[in-house]
Amino acid sequence: MDWQRLLVSYLVGFVLLNVLLGLMAYMTWFERRVLARLQHRVGPNRTGPFGLLQPIADGIKLLAKEDIVPANADRLVFLVAPLLSFALAPLGAAVIPFGETLHLFGVDVPLLVADINVAVLYVLALGSVGVYGIILGGYASGNRYSLLGALRSTAQVISYELVLGLSLVGVLILSGSLSLQDILREQQRTLVIGPLTLPNWYILSQPLAFALFLIAAVAETNRAPFDLPEAETELVAGYFTEYSGFRFSFYFLAEYINMIVVSLLAATLFLGGIDGPIADGVWWLALKALFFLFFYVWLRATLPRFRYDQLMGLAWKVLLPLALLNIALTGLVRLWGIGAL
Amino acid sequence: MALSVLVFWLLALVSILGALGVVVARNPIHSAIGLVLSFLNVAAIYLVARAEFLAVVQVIVYAGAVIVLVVFVTMLVHPDDLPEFHGRRPLRVATGLILGIALLAEVTAAILARGLRGAPGPWTEETVAAVGGNTSALGQVLYSEFMLPIQLTAVLLLAATIGAIVLARPEAVSERLAVARRLLTISLAHPRGLDQPEPPLALPAGRDERVKPAGGGRPIVLARSADEFTERPAWGEWRPR
Repeated sequence: MDWQRLLVSYLVGFVLLNVLLGLMAYMTWFERRVLARLQHRVGPNRTGPFGLLQPIADGIKLLAKEDIVPANADRLVFLVAPLLSFALAPLGAAVIPFGETLHLFGVDVPLLVADINVAVLYVLALGSVGVYGIILGGYASGNRYSLLGALRSTAQVISYELVLGLSLVGVLILSGSLSLQDILREQQRTLVIGPLTLPNWYILSQPLAFALFLIAAVAETNRAPFDLPEAETELVAGYFTEYSGFRFSFYFLAEYINMIVVSLLAATLFLGGIDGPIADGVWWLALKALFFLFFYVWLRATLPRFRYDQLMGLAWKVLLPLALLNIALTGLVRLWGIGAL
Repeated sequence: MALSVLVFWLLALVSILGALGVVVARNPIHSAIGLVLSFLNVAAIYLVARAEFLAVVQVIVYAGAVIVLVVFVTMLVHPDDLPEFHGRRPLRVATGLILGIALLAEVTAAILARGLRGAPGPWTEETVAAVGGNTSALGQVLYSEFMLPIQLTAVLLLAATIGAIVLARPEAVSERLAVARRLLTISLAHPRGLDQPEPPLALPAGRDERVKPAGGGRPIVLARSADEFTERPAWGEWRPR
């Protein structure tokens, strides 16, 4: 019986991993098309209908490139660091519930890989380990620009991780659980405010936490306007300056997978995940995640990059106090039972 | 059962190898990587022992903290600048060996004296399940029975944080006052260079009486050099000139 459950878990994980990899490839297409539209360009439209074969062409190109290791690189660390980044990126998706348990051929198939009772902390822990890929890659390149990019990136991710974690505390206080399944279950209830009947999504009761989470998530994935680590005007390309071919593409893929995982997480934590007005299911989750992914691209097309001191100041002097304020307020509401959510 | 024992031995082995790597590696970065490897494997051992919360905290606190160590090592130390990492220092090796053996002896003595399993406490599997899992149980015990130690630890950490900030910003009080004064002052560049004898210390009055004077009553100074009073730092940050 245990072996059976393990096998089912592995199968679900396998399917999920492949779906994520496919989505990631088309995320690059989506980003380029949307970005082009926002900038009055056409975007990739030559390879296949609507340029749909572009990600495949890109993949073949990246795999065929020469894999160069710089002469004064720390060779082993240089070779392993991108793999570390890439391997850790999809693990976060393992705790996201994609639907109710299915019954296939007399076997219960839960639509999530692992129901960990500390799922939220697990995702945060993955984030803190994920920085190693960046810092080790930057250090091992033996290049000053890479090292500077890596140091910036580390400082940024550590600062924003704090905001990310603290912004989630409000949600945890309201739901009373660290398990994503419990958090979803809480959100499937209805919230009645006077004449309004709304879903109990945490974006309604935790709007500040949602905003903080969104900002911190963009910074955590090193995306514009927080893409300081790869500020090409100052640092050539940041921590992956020396990487080429498929090792470069590992960093690239890790960034896109991280975006997808964070979008899924935001949809699950604040927008009710698979919960929808009609016919609950994974399509609602996909729709919400797609909105967040569009938001990422939109931001990139709209906002200029932050200056480095502004970035750190924003995290420590604005977002962190706001997150603490949110925790205090939520705690008081919970203590006095206002709203009785 | 046999599977989890096998997994335990594997994790323990890799963890010990990582710890060995910390000591043996010549490059400080490689030492730090070994340390992380060791910590992650210990976290996995906690997972096998069904202490999920402890495992995740181990990863966040320890593995996450080592990243800061790595950053400091990369920033402050260049491997070539570490002669003691390359030469043999018999005294240091001997000291380390003696201290290590002493520690090992202490730990062994403690284990032999008390046994690996202490007296069973009030928390059994059933009581933990009744509270709703070991994370809830841990939280409830920490914030009821051990309330005072938790608060004291929090105060200690806060004091350490404040101390670190104070140490990192060593400028004197007079300098801070100067910064404050600078923020509350409007500075004008010299209109005609530094040789002008009498700087006009007031803005020219507007023709319209109803329009408020620019600057709203803040003192106006003329800058003697290009970088005096001219930089308004972002977010009120003081930057050394």
